[in-house]
Amino acid sequence: MKIDDQLISRLENLARLQLSATEKEGLKTDLTNILGMVEKLQKLDVEDVEPLVYLNEAVNRQREDVINNQVDREAALRNAPDQDGTFFRVPKVIDL
Amino acid sequence: MTYETVIGLEIHVQLSTQSKAFCSDSIQFGSAPNTQVSAISLGHPGTLPRLNKQQLDYAIRLALALGSKINLRNTFDRKNYFYADLPKGYQITQDAQPVCVGGEIEVIVEGKPKKIRIHHIHMEEDAGKSMHDSDDPYSYIDLNRAGTPLLEIVTEPDLRSAAEVDALMTTMRQLVRYLNISDGNMQEGSMRCDCNVSIRPLGADYYGNRCEVKNLNSMRYARKAIQYEVQRQIKIVEAGGTVAQQTLNFDPSTGVTTPLRSKEDAHDYRYFPEPDLPPVVLTEAQVAAIKKEMPDLPKEVRQQLVTEYQLSEYNADLLTVEPEPARFFLALAKATTSYDAAANLMINKILPWSKEEGKPLTALPLSYAQLAEFIALIEEGKVSNSIAYQELFSAMLNAPEQSAANLAQVNNWLQSDDEDEMSNWVETAITDFPDKVKAYQSGKKGLIGFFMGEVMKVSKGKADPKKVNQLLRERLG
Repeated sequence: MKIDDQLISRLENLARLQLSATEKEGLKTDLTNILGMVEKLQKLDVEDVEPLVYLNEAVNRQREDVINNQVDREAALRNAPDQDGTFFRVPKVIDL
Repeated sequence: MTYETVIGLEIHVQLSTQSKAFCSDSIQFGSAPNTQVSAISLGHPGTLPRLNKQQLDYAIRLALALGSKINLRNTFDRKNYFYADLPKGYQITQDAQPVCVGGEIEVIVEGKPKKIRIHHIHMEEDAGKSMHDSDDPYSYIDLNRAGTPLLEIVTEPDLRSAAEVDALMTTMRQLVRYLNISDGNMQEGSMRCDCNVSIRPLGADYYGNRCEVKNLNSMRYARKAIQYEVQRQIKIVEAGGTVAQQTLNFDPSTGVTTPLRSKEDAHDYRYFPEPDLPPVVLTEAQVAAIKKEMPDLPKEVRQQLVTEYQLSEYNADLLTVEPEPARFFLALAKATTSYDAAANLMINKILPWSKEEGKPLTALPLSYAQLAEFIALIEEGKVSNSIAYQELFSAMLNAPEQSAANLAQVNNWLQSDDEDEMSNWVETAITDFPDKVKAYQSGKKGLIGFFMGEVMKVSKGKADPKKVNQLLRERLG
């Protein structure tokens, strides 16, 4: 896969990042190297190997349906960049 | 050219659990903003989600009702997108291995049954709420809803009209209410749907490009949005164009759909397995246990009312639209054997009472035994049907501590079977109308109804209609 300027700007947009020209060049090199390694891995024959998704074998970490552990509003809003004491306040976004 | 509308639905059902899908915040509707939150629902780093068992049980209940295949091993995925009311930057959902696959639901459209196939059902969590219009250029975020447990039911594109969409949503709402897994209330957002709408020439065996109309939270809006969207697509195709596959928003105030996501990149959700939640592994025994506890389904209850209790199809329909009346009837039918009378009492008095008072049936101050007594008074001819319905029932509501028989007694509503009193009433009615008597005697036998009415008037409804009829016939000759 070719890492070009168009792909970098798409990723930039998806990750909501604003990168400088130097950062973009650096990222292009890094991503090319990473994908190069992935391409190498893809050459391996893994026909009979189950995909490894979870790093341990635990299943069913579930909880009972009870109310607990809520935090109050003041604590919830405390670390927000902007708030009005009731709501989190953010720049207006409607279009996704 | 004639076009056919093709619609598939994504129905979101908010579950009536106590707590959220992956953490223990309350999900009670209508609480003050940002008071039902925690480190997990706020998306703070270093927190771990844990699945609510109840959500899983509810998913299985729905799957059993729809005849879906249950994936005994199912897993969660992250759906990544940026939005201010999604604190983690991803929604936890099920993509690759959802909890249920397949199934079907039967709906009645214009009197005819139609089967709609289910593609799959998956568990997921809701986002928070944004308020946009109060203070430009800001949006305000309430995260109480963030993490609320949802089931998403995805249908096959089997629907052909807005009427079928309506029928499916109504049937689904009835089903989730019977299953006790959701209140199915569209106004409060407990049930919403996204409609995937496309058109194709009638009879074609391919599908046209589809547009997804988002977040329709009432049937009226869904109907309008579909009608508008179909006309829009037909216009494009007729003009030789191609319908672009996109996500649309429906504005109820203008009745128009507009593209919601201008950047196509936003569709790139980059799903990947959710590493914070281990797989769900179910056993057949667990599923069997849930099956054993399943409430009766609407179709089964309706059938029971018709076959076991001999109700008319019409009455059975009226009593089974919602689960509460059906359950109330079944309980009442244990207290009386006059099933038809019980159904009529519910339809004409008890259901209207609940509606007018805005109270659930369980809040009726009268016991099943009292209602059975009311029915018995009519059936045994002690109180006339009209007095019972017009007077006695409200009197019982106003004085629930008194017996129905006692109320009828003190208010002088008991039907008279005193022969002398009855003869007097008959006599009065006859002597007042000598012309009508002559007419009757010369063959106008239909006038018996008129005399009946007169006797009832004179007796203030207390005369036993059977006896009056007999006396009148004897007297008039």
